[in-house]
Amino acid sequence: MTDLLRIVVGPLAWLGAFSAVYGLHGIACAFGWAEPGVWGIPLLRLMLAMAWLGAVAIGSLLLVALHAPRLRSPSRFVRRLSQATAWVGLVAMLWTLFPVVATSTCR
Amino acid sequence: MTALERHRRLQAIWASEPGWRGRFSTVNHSDLGRMFLLAAFFFFAVGGLLAMLIRAQLATPHSAFVGPEVYSQLFTMHGTVMMFLFAIPAIEGVAIYLLPKMLGTRDLAFPRLTAYGFWCYVFGGAMLLVSMLLGIAPDGGWFMYPPLTGPLFSTGINTDFWLLGITFVEISAISAAVEITVSVLRYRAPGMSLDRMPIFAWYMLVTVLMILTGFPPLILGSILLEAERAFGLPFFQAELGGDSLLWQHLFWLFGHPEVYIIFLPAAGVVSTVLPVMARTTLLGYGWVVASVVALAFLSFGLWVHHMFATGIPHMGLAFFSAASTLVAVPTGVQVFAWIGTLWKGRPQLRLPMLHILGFFVTFVIGGLTGVMVAIVPFDWQAHDTAFVTAHLHYVLFGGFVFPILAGLYYWLPHVTGRQRFFRIGEVAFALVFVGFHGTFLAMHWAGLLGQRRRIWTYDADAGWTTINLISSIGSFVLAFGLAMVLLDLVLHVAAARRSPRNPWRAGTLEWATTTPPAAYNFASLPLVTRRDPLTGDAALPVRLAQGRGYLGEPRHDRRETLTVEPSRGTPDYIVVYPGNTYLPIVLAAVTGLFFLAVLLKLYWLVPVALAGVAALGLRWVWSLGRRGDVGPEDVGLGLSLPHACEVDRAPGWWGSLFLLVADAVFFGSLVFGYAFLFTIAPGWPPPAWLEPSLAELLAGVAGALLAPAGMRLAIRANRRGAAPWPGLALAGAGTVTILLALVALLLRIPPPAAHAYNATLLVLGSYAVVHALLPALMLAFLAARVACGFVSPRRRAELPIAGLWVDYMALITVVTLLLTQLPGGAA
Repeated sequence: MTDLLRIVVGPLAWLGAFSAVYGLHGIACAFGWAEPGVWGIPLLRLMLAMAWLGAVAIGSLLLVALHAPRLRSPSRFVRRLSQATAWVGLVAMLWTLFPVVATSTCR
Repeated sequence: MTALERHRRLQAIWASEPGWRGRFSTVNHSDLGRMFLLAAFFFFAVGGLLAMLIRAQLATPHSAFVGPEVYSQLFTMHGTVMMFLFAIPAIEGVAIYLLPKMLGTRDLAFPRLTAYGFWCYVFGGAMLLVSMLLGIAPDGGWFMYPPLTGPLFSTGINTDFWLLGITFVEISAISAAVEITVSVLRYRAPGMSLDRMPIFAWYMLVTVLMILTGFPPLILGSILLEAERAFGLPFFQAELGGDSLLWQHLFWLFGHPEVYIIFLPAAGVVSTVLPVMARTTLLGYGWVVASVVALAFLSFGLWVHHMFATGIPHMGLAFFSAASTLVAVPTGVQVFAWIGTLWKGRPQLRLPMLHILGFFVTFVIGGLTGVMVAIVPFDWQAHDTAFVTAHLHYVLFGGFVFPILAGLYYWLPHVTGRQRFFRIGEVAFALVFVGFHGTFLAMHWAGLLGQRRRIWTYDADAGWTTINLISSIGSFVLAFGLAMVLLDLVLHVAAARRSPRNPWRAGTLEWATTTPPAAYNFASLPLVTRRDPLTGDAALPVRLAQGRGYLGEPRHDRRETLTVEPSRGTPDYIVVYPGNTYLPIVLAAVTGLFFLAVLLKLYWLVPVALAGVAALGLRWVWSLGRRGDVGPEDVGLGLSLPHACEVDRAPGWWGSLFLLVADAVFFGSLVFGYAFLFTIAPGWPPPAWLEPSLAELLAGVAGALLAPAGMRLAIRANRRGAAPWPGLALAGAGTVTILLALVALLLRIPPPAAHAYNATLLVLGSYAVVHALLPALMLAFLAARVACGFVSPRRRAELPIAGLWVDYMALITVVTLLLTQLPGGAA
């Protein structure tokens, strides 16, 4: 079962981050946090950008962990598979959450 | 013992009852796989007939063929039948028939559950067919958007048939998903590590995990909408704090993964059949597995792309648009792996290959139009037009029907033991291919010219007349093609000549069985040392038939198989299966009685049906286990293994674990719905928050600590050889405390029909009560089992299973109490 967890942990982290950022966006828009805040930047955008960077950091750490001799799978197949899926998670975090810095927030 | 004597003894142990009665009592996966496929293709014919009626209506402007009421029922039932009664059950049928053979074992993990799932599917499907014959079929479109389907705009029973019938059918999908997950992880031939699993098993493992996590949101949505229709709980009514967009979220949380749930097994067929047709092995096995896992996860981040036109903020749209484009990458990896496989092999253009080529062309076009509608500005133009109808048919027919037909022709010699004689299939393929593209390629233009989907008629000067006529002619050509496939199959079964054992010279283990297969699949189980065990070892089937594998000696008239450790495939323990029984069909009938009682509003019958389900469920599990210790037994090849009842993680534990995964997703979806209404829906805050109660909270938390601690105590005491009674009593006391706290909560909830907040509290509380009643029932059952001598320090498997459910109850209780009481406290 540990091997199966290794295989899914990367994309699972993306799914968690994606849902969390989307949820945060919905809540923040509902409660009007999109108004300009620090240096004219809306608090919402700052929060979302921080969440994005945090997610990318977690994805990167997972990738490093799955390469570490202590944590990686003893099976060569599972090792390569879990590293590939961890890359999927990281790339998905970068690509699907980049709108937090690129589009309007609550319009 | 000779191979023939071994066959006769095994056949006597494993065979279903003879004659038509055997169909009702069989728990054999080959029988049930075939029955699933027969039923699924019957529904395919029904759905096809409905499609022809739709195309007959649209062939000309102002057609008087049917009126709008009937037309609405036609397109709703067409979509519903194809998605829920054909595609998913056909996948289940293929997997149920093939997987144990491919994995080198004798049956799936829970044979009676396979049968129960089949009968739920047949009874649920029959409910929907009856509604159609009575002219009261669902008519709100296959995705049933409220408020159109709410109590205000859909006053008849039509929508209720859909909500209850589909939920009934989904029991079948969840059953099959639990069954297949445990089977692929644990029921494999010894030596079959993860990297030696047949690629189809990987696809199915990923697919069924998607079913476990994708279907619960729809089940929840159906329950909420039915509760709104039956009892006035206003989850989707904006004036009472509900929001119809909540349905769209819940539906598409299921609906988009559903597309991949349908596509992935079909892609698994392609990945299995194509290398055999190309006389080589699959290129990039590991990359294909990685892309399947990636596709599964990404598909859960796409649901809002069905809602681009609902006024969601740009940032939200951009998230889902980006995810929708990204999903093309792992799909592309698979397509390139298939092309590479063709490139490195020596392809033969046999009938399965023709269908695979049809799949390539059609699915790639569907994928490209999918990328088009993933881009928000384009989607706004094409949304709800015939363009989307065309796109989804390219994806689903291209991505599912062509591969399934390829698989059908590929495995037909295995199912029937015959090889094709007549060459009708090639002509049928040509008609299907031309007919399909004639129907749906044209439909893209109709959509781009502005034809809305689901319209029942149109004006002659709209400019769509010729396109619709071409489309309708194409659909009839397609129907002729599919009818010829049916004719080909009938002739094949009736008149074809005997087939050799492995006509395609494939490497996977299903071809090591006799064809048609014996009820036990393998006279002895193989030791797997490579991914394609038959490649380079043509004598393997003979060795297995001679009993020179594991469990080669039939003994005690028991249906035995082995399980393995999930990752490395090392042998783990012996499983003894139950025999033929009518219990699954009776349980499915009583389950159906519950749905029928709700449908017909015979609410007095509901507790009767539920009590029947509980009684039959207890009867079901009581028959398992033993009253005496057995110890490790010889399984052949110098190996001894314990029995499933004498381990910590028995099949029932694994089944419960994955069922709880689905259950947790259901609960998570409910929490999501609560949060959605709380933040997005108009009409909030509610008139009054629920007053927090410290007593309920403390009692709930105390019970949540006590019950799991009691179960752990019982498990440890039993292992030491001491009586588990004190631990069980503690767990029971914790469960009763939880029940009291939850009932107190339910009694304080304000009138649930007054506001969506109240209704949500009621559903949350009821969910928690159900999940406290279940462990209470299990603990009572466990006490009876201990008293009757089914549990001993060695026979310890049953305690951890109840422990799982008690842990889940504890978690749910605490979360429910916090969610229901915190908002009031904060206010």
